[in-house]
Amino acid sequence: MFQPQTMSKVNLIVPEHDVVAVTEVLAASNVFHVAQTEPFVSESSQHHTNPWYERATTFTALEQRILAVMKALEINEGSPPSQILHLISPEVAQMEVEHLEEESDAALQELEAAQHKLAQLRRYHSQLEPIADLDVDLDDLRNMQYTFVLLGTIPVTNIERLKNSLEHIPFVLVTLRQQEHLATVILFGMQRDAEILNRAARSAYLNPLNPPEMYRGTPAAAIEALKAGITRTQQHIDESQANIKQLLKLHIRHLRHLLWRVRASRTLVETIAGYEHLRYTYLATGWVPTADIQVLKQKIARVSEKVTIETTEFPQMAPREKIDEEEFSQVPVTLKNPPLIRAFQGLVTNYGYPKYGELDPTPVLAMSFPLIFGLMFGDVGHGLFLALLGLIITSGKIKSLKALSSLGGIILGCGIFSAVFGILYGSVFGFETLLQPLWLRPLEDITDILLVTVGIGTVVLSIGMLCNTVNAFLAKRWGLMLFNHNSLAGLIFYWSLIGIAVKAFGVAIPLNTWILAILALVSGLGLTFSELLEHLLDGEKPLIEGSTSTYLMQALFELFETLIGFLSNTLSYVRMGAFAVAHGAISMVVFIMAEIISPTHSIGYWLTIVLGNLFIIGFEGMIVGIQTLRLEYYEFFSKFFSGSGKRYKPLTLLPNGEN
Amino acid sequence: MARGVTAYSLVNATVRALYAKMIEPRTWDALIHAQDLNALLSVLSKTGYDPYLQVKSQAMTPRRAAYQIRWRLAKTYTKIIRLTPEPGQALLLQLWRLYEVNNLKATLRGIETGASWDRVLYLLSPMDKHTTLSLSDMESMVRSGNIRRALNYIAHTPYYDTLIHALERYHVENNLFPLEVALDLAYRRELWKSINNLSGPDHEQAQRIVGTGLDTDNLLWAIRYRIYHKLSKQEIINYTLPYGYRVQDEDIRMIADGNPIAPIIQRLYPDIRVKSDFEDSNDLSKLETALQRHLIKTCRKAFSGYPFHIGTPTAYLWLNEYEIKDLTMLIEAKASHLPIEMFAPLLVMQPTYQQTVGTTKTI
Repeated sequence: MFQPQTMSKVNLIVPEHDVVAVTEVLAASNVFHVAQTEPFVSESSQHHTNPWYERATTFTALEQRILAVMKALEINEGSPPSQILHLISPEVAQMEVEHLEEESDAALQELEAAQHKLAQLRRYHSQLEPIADLDVDLDDLRNMQYTFVLLGTIPVTNIERLKNSLEHIPFVLVTLRQQEHLATVILFGMQRDAEILNRAARSAYLNPLNPPEMYRGTPAAAIEALKAGITRTQQHIDESQANIKQLLKLHIRHLRHLLWRVRASRTLVETIAGYEHLRYTYLATGWVPTADIQVLKQKIARVSEKVTIETTEFPQMAPREKIDEEEFSQVPVTLKNPPLIRAFQGLVTNYGYPKYGELDPTPVLAMSFPLIFGLMFGDVGHGLFLALLGLIITSGKIKSLKALSSLGGIILGCGIFSAVFGILYGSVFGFETLLQPLWLRPLEDITDILLVTVGIGTVVLSIGMLCNTVNAFLAKRWGLMLFNHNSLAGLIFYWSLIGIAVKAFGVAIPLNTWILAILALVSGLGLTFSELLEHLLDGEKPLIEGSTSTYLMQALFELFETLIGFLSNTLSYVRMGAFAVAHGAISMVVFIMAEIISPTHSIGYWLTIVLGNLFIIGFEGMIVGIQTLRLEYYEFFSKFFSGSGKRYKPLTLLPNGEN
Repeated sequence: MARGVTAYSLVNATVRALYAKMIEPRTWDALIHAQDLNALLSVLSKTGYDPYLQVKSQAMTPRRAAYQIRWRLAKTYTKIIRLTPEPGQALLLQLWRLYEVNNLKATLRGIETGASWDRVLYLLSPMDKHTTLSLSDMESMVRSGNIRRALNYIAHTPYYDTLIHALERYHVENNLFPLEVALDLAYRRELWKSINNLSGPDHEQAQRIVGTGLDTDNLLWAIRYRIYHKLSKQEIINYTLPYGYRVQDEDIRMIADGNPIAPIIQRLYPDIRVKSDFEDSNDLSKLETALQRHLIKTCRKAFSGYPFHIGTPTAYLWLNEYEIKDLTMLIEAKASHLPIEMFAPLLVMQPTYQQTVGTTKTI
């Protein structure tokens, strides 16, 4: 609970013919974190391209093609299947994709062609309409001997330019109909100028309207024929769409399954491509929680008896000289906490992962976060409301709240502590007459609450420094443990200064001022020369960087900075008291407003109370949550938590909920 | 005037600070004389382009390097657009759209040649914000593998109507020329409209700077269509713009009519001496270089005199663009180990090198 799970490094020497089966087992087991390795290039292998990478490329291309078919058929991906997916042969997958593409392409092309034809017929129709009243045979227009005629559409912006370009050529350009961007025009000229007129019209983007030869007679007759054609084409489109729907029903499951299988295969071959490859064997390296090693070995043994498995446990407190520091820093981290506090794990990992061997701050956060929140949000009613909300979210019964599922436990915890502090403050939905406070009322005892919160802040910061000291101890970095600003020296310095300050305010404590002063001085000296002392203890050279005078100047400034930091970090917790007071004050405002709206305490009064409380829970609850997070991340975590650990991501062929 | 001061003081101050950080002549010399691409990138890493070159060395191909430095322009446009008040901001947004149009053309070319998305991606200009055409739109277009289907992915953009109408010509002629010309003309019409929506000093400056840029394009198109594509007079007129700052419709018509080109250019740009008839394909690129240098001079002039207008930010953005164009040329030249004499005459931004090699104002 207080540290990440112990991990073991696993090296698997896998015969070539078993590599796929073994990798499938590794993925199915969901415990094997593949280690990044430097590619091993042997003299023989460097001349060959990795066939697994080629397969991965093939699968990537197939995936894109399947997605294109699904998009064309308007099918979504669906959710990943729950059963284990095995490697599909690229050739088989290719054949299946081609078959699906053929079927869907044929149907889609038919539909597209019909839609194109419909659009064309409608275009002809809209273009013939302006000349519907013209009592001239279309054949006569087509076969004019001396007059050049061109009927078509042109962008409106090009009409003037076309006219200008034909300034020395006899012509007539009539606009039959003008819409927003396009105009239907008819261009007349002389047949002897046909080539010039055609080139000019083409360059002006005058697209000719050439009703197919089958449309004969007058424009009116052609229009009637077009209307019949439009109706027929529309029917054809309806039939094509029905065919596609049928296709959809037939293939939807298959397409989705194929997609996920291809994806899984891609992940599988990409993983194998990352293994080191010797002539007939593969070397797979990864990390597995030590507790899961035996089960994994048994699963691998079931698929291959020839796999050699070498495991090296990395205890979190291994003696330093036995550890390769670089390798230690590569160990991935997985947190394992009991269900009650697991909800707060997300808050830790949101900041970062602890390094392997360091403390997992989740248990401390699980106590401090709801405590700080509760102190700022103390009200029985508000707390119980939040707790109920947290319970509902955690149950997962309301689909629309599923997105908040990771917050359910946190809200529940914060709600409970808010209710507890509500009892201590004697507040129920802002009513302060229903309960007697067991401790104090923040609005009436402002100084007390502020002092208490400073005290709480001192404790929280001290816990942070203790955690840093423990981390240094676990890493066997004695210098860091003793002399770092956030370790033992810093802690002693901090508490001795607090002791002196408290004594200065007349509070009796069982330590002589001189002793406190000596402690402050000694720890202060330790902090001032921390870098030198750390290097001395850890055997690092040089002892100081740069010149002695520069070092001394820097050291003094750093000490001053540490002092200021202690003060500001401690005083930062005053905001807890301020928010506790504000919580009471906002409730008071709600009551004042309710009185104004309805002095006789009728329905308006109660409506205001209800809405006001909802506002407080929602708005102030969010602000208090943010402030709590800020105190935890900025004041507390910064004392000991780097968050630079590597996340444990076990190999899986398909995305799962946890990922 | 007071409104101009309050409206443009912040963007003016920002632009001047950015202007001061443009590449100096000394650095240009170092870039030109760099031994190879790595040496060039090393010099460039000491300039404001450094943050954009933080890519693993194996991935830093010439194409990737050119793509990375274009990010600086994208970030600069975003910053300056944000600071510029209306209606000047609308002009800058329209100027920015040029890169979107170019990206669209590159995407269409990619589809036409069957290129993969990976190859097309680094040919594009990165566009930070203020786009109607996203990277995923363009990727979908390339992956569709077909121009007609690709256009379905841009139905939400202002380019759709233009392209869908021009598509018929594409199908008949089986090349991208009609699509690209349609895009170019439509874009520049909108740009001219944006200029005319301005008034006062903004309008005057925008006409001078942006109008000069439009003139360059218009003039080069007319010459190219006549000399190299051998198009008819009507086609030349339809494929060019009827307006500009110095270059008017009459000038374009005279070129389209087959009149000698040199006197027309001489009249329009007295400081550019033209002797050739543009028989040699190099002559047009020399003219293009000369016109670009003329534009750069015009942009630099915007930094003197009354500064509180759209001219300063516009001029800076165009100078930045030409700086990047020159850098791109240098990247390609150094990657191909071309001798300095081959590419130096085509650089437009650095006057000092001109002095050492000799100006090439006479074409």
